Amino acid sequence: MDLELNEDQSMLISALQSILDRYRELPSEHRRDRSFYSLDLDNQLLTNGFLDAVRTPGMGALEAALVIAEAATAPVSVEVGASALIAPHITDAILPRPIVLISGDLGKAQRYLNVAKTALMDVGDDILVIAVEAANVEAVDTIYAYPYGRFITPPDLSKAQRLGKAAVAPFRQWSRVALAAECAGLMRTAVDFTVDYVKQRRMFGTTLGTYQAVQHRLAQCHQIARATHYLAMKAAWSGDPMDASAAACFAQQHIQKLTFDLHQFNGGMGVTNEHKLHFWTYRFRALQSELGGANGAAHEIADLLWGPVEAPRTPDTPALREAARRKGGAAKTPGMARHLDPALT
Amino acid sequence: MEFAWTESQQRYREQVATFLEDNLPDDWFDTYCHGLGSPQQIDYARIFCPKLAKAGLLTPQWPAEYGGRDGEPWEQFILAEELWSWGEPRGPQYMNVNWIGPALMRFGTAEQKAEHLSRIATGEVIWCQGFSEPQAGTDLAALQTKAERIGDHYLINGMKIWTSYSYKADWCFLLARTGPERKAISCFLVPMNSKGVSVVPFPGLPEYGHLNEVFFEDVEVPLGNLVGEEGKGWEVITYALSYERVGLPRYHWGRKVLDTAVAQLQAEGRFDDPMVRAHAGRIVSKFEAARVLTYLVVDQRVKRTPDTTDPNVQRITAADACCELMNFLMEYLPDCLSGGERYLELFYRHNIPATIAAGTYELQLDLIAQRGLTLPRGR
Ligand SMILES: Cc1cc2nc3c(=O)[nH]c(=O)nc-3n(C[C@H](O)[C@H](O)[C@H](O)COP(=O)(O)OP(=O)(O)OC[C@H]3O[C@@H](n4cnc5c(N)ncnc54)[C@H](O)[C@@H]3O)c2cc1C
Repeated sequence: MDLELNEDQSMLISALQSILDRYRELPSEHRRDRSFYSLDLDNQLLTNGFLDAVRTPGMGALEAALVIAEAATAPVSVEVGASALIAPHITDAILPRPIVLISGDLGKAQRYLNVAKTALMDVGDDILVIAVEAANVEAVDTIYAYPYGRFITPPDLSKAQRLGKAAVAPFRQWSRVALAAECAGLMRTAVDFTVDYVKQRRMFGTTLGTYQAVQHRLAQCHQIARATHYLAMKAAWSGDPMDASAAACFAQQHIQKLTFDLHQFNGGMGVTNEHKLHFWTYRFRALQSELGGANGAAHEIADLLWGPVEAPRTPDTPALREAARRKGGAAKTPGMARHLDPALT
Repeated sequence: MEFAWTESQQRYREQVATFLEDNLPDDWFDTYCHGLGSPQQIDYARIFCPKLAKAGLLTPQWPAEYGGRDGEPWEQFILAEELWSWGEPRGPQYMNVNWIGPALMRFGTAEQKAEHLSRIATGEVIWCQGFSEPQAGTDLAALQTKAERIGDHYLINGMKIWTSYSYKADWCFLLARTGPERKAISCFLVPMNSKGVSVVPFPGLPEYGHLNEVFFEDVEVPLGNLVGEEGKGWEVITYALSYERVGLPRYHWGRKVLDTAVAQLQAEGRFDDPMVRAHAGRIVSKFEAARVLTYLVVDQRVKRTPDTTDPNVQRITAADACCELMNFLMEYLPDCLSGGERYLELFYRHNIPATIAAGTYELQLDLIAQRGLTLPRGR
């Protein structure tokens, strides 16, 4: 086990950072926008091969997840997860991009739909590949910091390419990994941004960052960002559906706390577009409910570990008792292991 | 970055698992059910640890000159994961291996190393940690127990509290004041059978064995039992606590406890409830977060990465997961604290102080904020 980036991974990320550094500030005409999709950055990532990790020998899903997390640190948004991580795990075809992910109601606004060329749609027992016609999409106004669009007329699904039932589980799994990786980059940046702010902002003759009430909650936000990062990377590395669900579940269940605390400490400034905080917070806010949200991922974990609801139930027993049985000792069922130890009462 | 166990680490894990299968007695679960700090488990640890030592599994990561076999820090964690999943048959001896030994290797005299390290490495001895006092918990430097140098010995007077396992311990790793300045504190190795040492256990919520008062009345300790320099004990404690605070593999244990709770709910036909299932799934994600952060901390230790606050981050992540699991037990299986499944009760009671002992939750947050996020110390 080695949780530091290796040389190739470090080079990949520092090359990406040097591109992202040109996008840390928004173009002045978009400075006060609620979101800004950078076609220019999108093109840079595509042409420089940052979306190809999964298909590149010597690289893989982990490198793709690192790219997703890092790209999310920029205030501009750009579609990385579906192109770099999800699509390559379900099809060999190189799909026109940006790619929008759709599960559920086609009539609702979808993240990235107004910039997308392809939609991947989860219809329960299949994944459909839908060519998106720009003329059939209208932009939707939102405070989420991603572009959103809606189909004017629902696309004809009979014309869509079908990837088959086998694509459903990997689609969901890698969508969760991509979501967690993106949250990791967004969370880290939003925490750093707020830490910088409370170091400067003065109230009652001192900086906000000296107050323990502020420090402790920021320390917890940092913990959440750090855990999300390593969970996402482990899930990308292992390709294990349990890890994917754990990463998404952890990230999504903590988004409410991060949104609350980070906005709280940026005060009134934090709710202005000019202050930039929302470019990160209202992206993770948008991710909070995707793929069924924290509960959806939690149910997936429960199904994987303890069997689906319909399955016949065979009670599991702790290792201790199993071993006792194997060794021929008295098998103890719950409730029998009572010991009247006066010292314990 | 990669998360794989090496072949030799896997072999090591299998070796530990086989050892446990072969050596734990049939009635081990009964012993375990008395609790980690119980007389039964501490007595059993005195039988079990020498066997573990003989198999080369008690102090694998220690240097060979001190009875180890120069193993990598990962081995200590694999060992801990396996042992905790069986209920930690080392009893209190995990402390010896984790931090008392390493502190003596760094600060002990040649005589202290010769006397104590070999006894720890052979699994024969029970230690306790005599740091906290009624008025010195989080603010440890406020401690009042005094050590006066008189001729060829120190005379120790004062009291300690919450001294886990002390009622059964052979030795105490004691902190006492040797001067009036706030941090004029020194470390001593005190035999618990010294004249003037008395231990009074008192009842409480955690499992038995943790809540004890230890009184020191004119206890004479030879000068040779001072660890490090007089008045420089703070350095020793900081070093020792950095080892202690990596923490226990609570994720491994917690996941097993959650499996047991789910099995019980399934057997009672109550695990189909979507709320219960979602709650259990969320807890898994928290334990997995604690697991991966523990691996991060071990990796940093292997690489001797300069101090980070990741151990503190790991501690609060594990504590959050434990609290959530305790909450799950209280919501759905409350009878585990009133005559129900003992395995669940032990987890609950053991973890009542998980956010208090060995550095409180708030202390961890202070450290993350001030050292990690470099927020200024203030109000
Ligand atoms: C089961 C158990 C086993 C233990 N075993 C041992 C042992 O073997 N050896 C040993 O030496 N000690 C042991 N301890 C003691 C333990 O280390 C102390 O309880 C701990 O350090 C906290 O001290 P305290 O209890 O005095 O709490 P206090 O210091 O009084 O703190 C009470 C609360 O106030 C908070 N607080 C304190 N200062 C601040 C601050 N500056 N800012 C914000 N919040 C603050 C704390 O975080 C805590 O939540 C054990 C304790 C328990 C419960």
